[in-house]
Amino acid sequence: MNHDDLHHDDSRDDSRDPADARLRLALRGLRRDAPPARDLWPELATRLARTSQHATAPARPRVWVPALALAASLLLAVGLAWQLRPAVAPDDPARLIQREAQAMTREYRAALYELERSAPPPAASPVTPALHELDRSAAQIRTALGRDPDARFLLERLRKTYAQRLALTQRASLT
Amino acid sequence: MLTATVTAWLPETTRPEPAEPSPADADRGLARAAATGDLGAFETLYRRHAGRVHGVIARLVGYHGARAEDLTQDTFVRAWQALPQYRFESAFGTWLHRLAVNTALMDLRASRSRPVFDADEDALADIGATDSAGHGTALGLDLERAVATLPPRARAVLVLYDVEGWKHEEIAAELGMAVGSSKAQLHRARGLLRARLGDFA
Repeated sequence: MNHDDLHHDDSRDDSRDPADARLRLALRGLRRDAPPARDLWPELATRLARTSQHATAPARPRVWVPALALAASLLLAVGLAWQLRPAVAPDDPARLIQREAQAMTREYRAALYELERSAPPPAASPVTPALHELDRSAAQIRTALGRDPDARFLLERLRKTYAQRLALTQRASLT
Repeated sequence: MLTATVTAWLPETTRPEPAEPSPADADRGLARAAATGDLGAFETLYRRHAGRVHGVIARLVGYHGARAEDLTQDTFVRAWQALPQYRFESAFGTWLHRLAVNTALMDLRASRSRPVFDADEDALADIGATDSAGHGTALGLDLERAVATLPPRARAVLVLYDVEGWKHEEIAAELGMAVGSSKAQLHRARGLLRARLGDFA
């Protein structure tokens, strides 16, 4: 099997440790074709029969760069909006965390709306299940925050989930 | 044209055999046909590349058979969808390989988002660790099984760098991490592997 232009570069930043070298050599040996244990084609053909190909005509011509720039700015906005949140009297940290979560969620929803408006994702994409999982995760975290409003680490978790969701939405619109 | 005219007059026995298309040329022709909806051409592409696609996905997901098969199917579905927009700027095999890696990594990221916490990564890191008597408990594991026990992100970096030959910059971009994190994950993965395979230490 032709492995094309992928190749190993021995000049890379590998250590000169002989044990490391033996390990790397053994790992290279793992790079081999491994056909599936069963023929996947019949199932695959059934799926393909229900799957339409993307139109050749550029329905959304060259939105790549603007969409990427927009997504990057929106991700930044979600992070900045949280970090530049207005100072609130520190006497009620639980209430503060709740307000931060609400503000972050508002920023996230506005960012998602803008992203989907500028580069509408396909109705069904391979990443759709992952998008739904992220939505479920975000909902779980918001519920957990409602139960445990002191848990600041959940706020950071929520921010990461929103950022992942925006990045994946942007990726879906490009596939 | 001139060549065709001359060879048409050559005796049967002296005519040059038509050159076999190279695998890359054959792929290109099949891909062009498949891009127009030719399912037969796509099946041929599947038969030619299923082993390579399934191989890299299996390595990335830790040789989890059913998951690797599902992701192999997903890769070919994505390829079918995207073929009309494939620009032939790289060899079809390279494009498909990238798509397979991307599909496996998307699944890895989605898996990470399922639980709210990342405890599974740390739990996995302890599998096969040195036992209390100081002996590697995984001495009997072969290399594939040892790789399969690595935490998902460390395994992905190790497979892409040490097995597939990617650069840290490419891995970092694909996994959405810093280049330094990719290097750190590689160091961690090699250390865990050496600990599990005593004869390499």
